[in-house]
Amino acid sequence: MGHEGEAKVGYLGDPAKLFPLALGTGVLGLLTLGVYRFWGKARIRRHVWSKVRLDGDGFEFTGTGLEMFLGFLLSVVVLAIYLAVVQLVLFAVGIRFVLDPQNRLEEFAQGISILLSFVAVLPLMVFAAYRSRRYKLARTRFRGIRLAMENAAGAYTLRAMGYLLLVVLSLGLLWPLMTFRLEAFMTERTWYGTSRFRQGGSWRGLYPAYGHVVAGIVLCLAGAALGIAGGGGFPVFLVIAGLVWAAIGFVVYRVRAFAYLMSHKMLDGGVGFRAMPATGTVIWLYIKGAFIAGLLGGLASAMIFAPLGTMLAGIESASQLVQVEVAVLGAASYLLLLTVFGALGLVFISQPILGHFIGSVTVTGAGALEAVRQRGADGGADAEGFADALDIGGAF
Amino acid sequence: MLPAAEAAVWFDGQSARRQAVEAEVAPDGRALRFGREIWPLERLRRIEGEGLVLALMDEGGDELPHDPARLVLAEGALAGWVRANAPALSRRDVRRGTGRKIAVRVVLAVAALAAILFGFLPRISDVLAEQLPPEQEVAFGKAVVAQIEGLLGGEEPLACDGARGLAALEKMERRLTEGQGLAYDIELSVLDHDMLNAFAAPGGQIVIVRGLLDEAESAEEVAGVLAHEIGHVEARDPVRLAFRAAGSAGILALVFGDVTGGTVIGVLGDHILSASYTREAEAAADAFAFDLLARTGIGTGGLAAFFDRIEAMGGDVPEILSTHPASGSRAEAARGAGGAAGRPVLDEAEWLSLKRICD
Repeated sequence: MGHEGEAKVGYLGDPAKLFPLALGTGVLGLLTLGVYRFWGKARIRRHVWSKVRLDGDGFEFTGTGLEMFLGFLLSVVVLAIYLAVVQLVLFAVGIRFVLDPQNRLEEFAQGISILLSFVAVLPLMVFAAYRSRRYKLARTRFRGIRLAMENAAGAYTLRAMGYLLLVVLSLGLLWPLMTFRLEAFMTERTWYGTSRFRQGGSWRGLYPAYGHVVAGIVLCLAGAALGIAGGGGFPVFLVIAGLVWAAIGFVVYRVRAFAYLMSHKMLDGGVGFRAMPATGTVIWLYIKGAFIAGLLGGLASAMIFAPLGTMLAGIESASQLVQVEVAVLGAASYLLLLTVFGALGLVFISQPILGHFIGSVTVTGAGALEAVRQRGADGGADAEGFADALDIGGAF
Repeated sequence: MLPAAEAAVWFDGQSARRQAVEAEVAPDGRALRFGREIWPLERLRRIEGEGLVLALMDEGGDELPHDPARLVLAEGALAGWVRANAPALSRRDVRRGTGRKIAVRVVLAVAALAAILFGFLPRISDVLAEQLPPEQEVAFGKAVVAQIEGLLGGEEPLACDGARGLAALEKMERRLTEGQGLAYDIELSVLDHDMLNAFAAPGGQIVIVRGLLDEAESAEEVAGVLAHEIGHVEARDPVRLAFRAAGSAGILALVFGDVTGGTVIGVLGDHILSASYTREAEAAADAFAFDLLARTGIGTGGLAAFFDRIEAMGGDVPEILSTHPASGSRAEAARGAGGAAGRPVLDEAEWLSLKRICD
């Protein structure tokens, strides 16, 4: 490999290795009432990270379950205060309309109060998403050298809320502006050792990818306009067709936006990237994975619930204690089944799609990586406690 | 027999340069040697990856107690020898003082959560509950009762509507409320379910579950329980409880890692069924009931008898007994409150039709 050499990025995931790990950690999570989930997550990440290869060398995840658990403890206290107050105030306001709205105005107010309860946690979720990415990067190493993202979650949250407002006001048309600026914000603060990442390209460059979503939005608007002008079934059809178009278009957008943004990233010293994920493959992997997971999950549910079914046969005449026992067993079986489905989804849906995205990336000028020097460790205080408490951060 | 030297890859932890080294076992068999490095076997730790990835344990370290350098051995004789001879390859080292740190954090978090759940939330919910206008409290109460009906029976409506039973219930309601200057319009109903229970929902809705009618031996016992529930209603206990539940539901979901949310009323139904008012609220409702029973000439004897019998039954405790393990003393308190029985609440025929209200 020369100085100008190209290096493929690959993902060597193996369902037979990941599934026992995902199921085992999931079951331990159940048995410990959720406490083990932090350790489970760390183990799964160590496994998945090590399967990502660049030029023959693996990545390493150095985060620990303990660290995530301690971060969670910290953020749960902050969140508890915030959520308790927000939820109570909204409940106190909402109770006046939510139960039975008396007129159009109150129905409107009901909608607003439900929307508000979502909007109230939105800044926190954005904040958490940034912290989570920062933590993951800070605990990722390649060739012994740390990655890092600067501590700027507050500034990121402010910007994200501003762009989100623009997106809403523009009826979704400015979404690519938000995507680009936020990704650029994070990329420009990301480091590999002593080298900094840069985001090239421009937000306008994302519009070719956004075309299908725009078409869907225009169709919806046309339907709405026709609907206001006069009734009939056609406007409804237009709106539904527009929504479906926009939804599929959004998947296309996500894939192509990844390709565009990745292909315009650079690392100081002359390292570049090229990504060519295929939308069709992503959708196919999703459908295939969902089918396999559904099939195996169906089998598992038969195996889990069949013994319970025989127990239920004589339940009417059983004593109260036995009835309680069977109810507890039923609840446990249900949770177990959810865990099995979670593991199957991870192995057959998330992992192949992740593998496809990673495998579509080529690094150019990989020789320049040799010049990168180590950076100091980042003791990011709360790990990704907020992200965990709010249940975001995706599959891995 | 020590394995021969093998080509390996070394990342020195200072630069991203990949360095080819020749790794071998030191002659004494107690360390790995490559380049200028000597890594003692007992400090070797395995990192997840392809081949055998090694790190050196180092109490200082970085975010892990490891030196940032890594040595990668291909699967082969040397890797096999290291696996067999390094004593703590898969140990997860934790720094000294970690246990203390965990304990401190857990205690602090639990204390803070407890302060929020039992100190801060009740106060702020009480303030908010005071602000709720009565009409809305009534509408809210109806939704809660409907929810509880769903919890108990599923799809079919459970409200009992035997005409003569309803008339008897009406008579009991008038006897308990007329001329008492209550702030709420009390509305009684009976739900058809085996559970032995009665509860007050926000806004003056009081629900008797049929199991209680089955168990009661006189109309005075039922009236006694109702008087206690009216006490809760007048003190606005149900609406306060509802607000507390709304606030705490989110927090509990948070702690257990499930943020489905949105089903506040579902949680409320459950809370009210197994309502746990504070000891003070129960005592106040008792005092109210004793007073009301004395004033209306029903007498506290029925309530005392009810306390006695339910207590003897054990098992599932209805709300009225839930926070009082020592209900024997409550029976005595009821008897001691006096309030001699005057004219009976219902005559024999009315009592029977109340018991059959669900047939």
